[in-house]
Amino acid sequence: MVIKKISILPGYDKDGEKENQDEIDIFEGQKIGIVGPTGSGKSQLLYDIEKLAFGETKTRRKIKINEKKADKVLKIDPAKKIIGYLTQHMNFMTDTSVYKFLKIHVETRGKHRTEEETEELIRKVIEDANKITGEQIKKDTNLLILSGGQSRALMVADLAHISESPIILIDEIENAGIKIKQALDLLIKKGKIVFLVTHDPILALDTDKRFVMKNGKINKVINTSVKEKEIADYLSWINDYILDIREEVREGKQVNQLRILCSLTEKEK
Amino acid sequence: MKVIIFGGTPGSGKTSIIKFIIEELKDFKIHYVKFDVLDTTDDTLIKEKFGISTEKKISEDVCPDHYAALEIPKIIRKNQDKDLIIIETAGLCLRCSPYVKEGLAVNVLNILAGKPKCYGPLLTDADLVVVSKGDLISQAEREIFRSKILEVNKSALIIDGNGLTGEGAIDVAEKIRETPEAKDKLTLKNSMPTAICGYCYGNRILGSEESLERYNKGKNLKSRLANLNCGACGFKSCNEFIRAVLDGKVEENKCPYIKEK
Repeated sequence: MVIKKISILPGYDKDGEKENQDEIDIFEGQKIGIVGPTGSGKSQLLYDIEKLAFGETKTRRKIKINEKKADKVLKIDPAKKIIGYLTQHMNFMTDTSVYKFLKIHVETRGKHRTEEETEELIRKVIEDANKITGEQIKKDTNLLILSGGQSRALMVADLAHISESPIILIDEIENAGIKIKQALDLLIKKGKIVFLVTHDPILALDTDKRFVMKNGKINKVINTSVKEKEIADYLSWINDYILDIREEVREGKQVNQLRILCSLTEKEK
Repeated sequence: MKVIIFGGTPGSGKTSIIKFIIEELKDFKIHYVKFDVLDTTDDTLIKEKFGISTEKKISEDVCPDHYAALEIPKIIRKNQDKDLIIIETAGLCLRCSPYVKEGLAVNVLNILAGKPKCYGPLLTDADLVVVSKGDLISQAEREIFRSKILEVNKSALIIDGNGLTGEGAIDVAEKIRETPEAKDKLTLKNSMPTAICGYCYGNRILGSEESLERYNKGKNLKSRLANLNCGACGFKSCNEFIRAVLDGKVEENKCPYIKEK
């Protein structure tokens, strides 16, 4: 299913007051940040979107997909589900190899693929996961021994390639051990719409706009400025630098190169 | 009156999710019953929180699901003025589950607690499966888990639930609203396994001779009882009474219906 546009129609805050803005439209390929203190309604907003709510949730918000109320089957059938979810916790519990796990997941999605297509897809997932994590994942690595960073990288790549959900919700993903900006770029490249709850400046300042939540409502919508995008770029560079040094430390090397970035134009290492 | 039965392993989050569901169904006159094996305080907690009528049923020596099956008709008889009876069971062996055809059977299934194919009627006979604790693992694994549920229960409606945030409660509440009223006698969805051996009658020595001896005594005594589970002897069921007699804790003439040898 191609999603050109999601519209959020105003609901009500915890005191029954209506949200300030009229309809908010979000388009294909956009990244939306959701910020605000604990209890301000961030998770509820994600929940409304995940449910494709139409007035039945606490906030009474309505979510329209391509100008229309969503079909019920989209909410229930996982193969048709248009929402992918990346939660804070990404533990695995299946005692199996990365390869076998991805294979089961491909089969679960129900889309018919030839043997070669499946193999190619799995290869791509692992390849892309390795682009965003420092420590390399091998196809026969057991899922249960993956580090936090490796698990996150694998799940982002899985979400990009196997779960073909055009809308992705991300709830406070940690950036430890992964190149978080590249991870998101991987999702966006696939034309997905991404909503992310985060206070990590690398992510929050790299969005197209961000919703500021307060007392259960979307209190303000900030369009990300060019300056903010530059700051996000810079912070992302620092994060990658930290990740590189982390790998050197892991490999038992002596760290002796100090990289200093004087201006954003000399970002290339 | 609608009869809704919730089953699930201990710690799956049944009670937490039920609380959110009760919140969604404020327009109903509800009676909540909690079955447990040794003790529970959920009935008082729910009564205090929502001001609805509640009760607890403790099964002790009897299988809690068999006990529930015995008690449900009595509960219904006593609560004719209610429109909704929510029964939370303490299914243990996953093989018995007092789901009834005339009501809604809801299994709260902890995603961390094992493979769906290891569950019996608790899962396979459920109309609705609320998958809990899914937020602790990846979406990919949630999707795989879901397809494994469908392998053992093709017609189940699967809902992601969360006892902390209340996720899923509105979907369950919607299904409850759609559930027809239970009018006539209730029938179990599956027959419960037989439980007749010396150990069922309270034998504790591991050995076939002792077990057989206890079984014969128990069977003999059972044939002389009316098997009404009336409770006049002070025990919840005839089986429990038989165990107590064989253990020498009570005289057999405590049963008002007992036939002479």
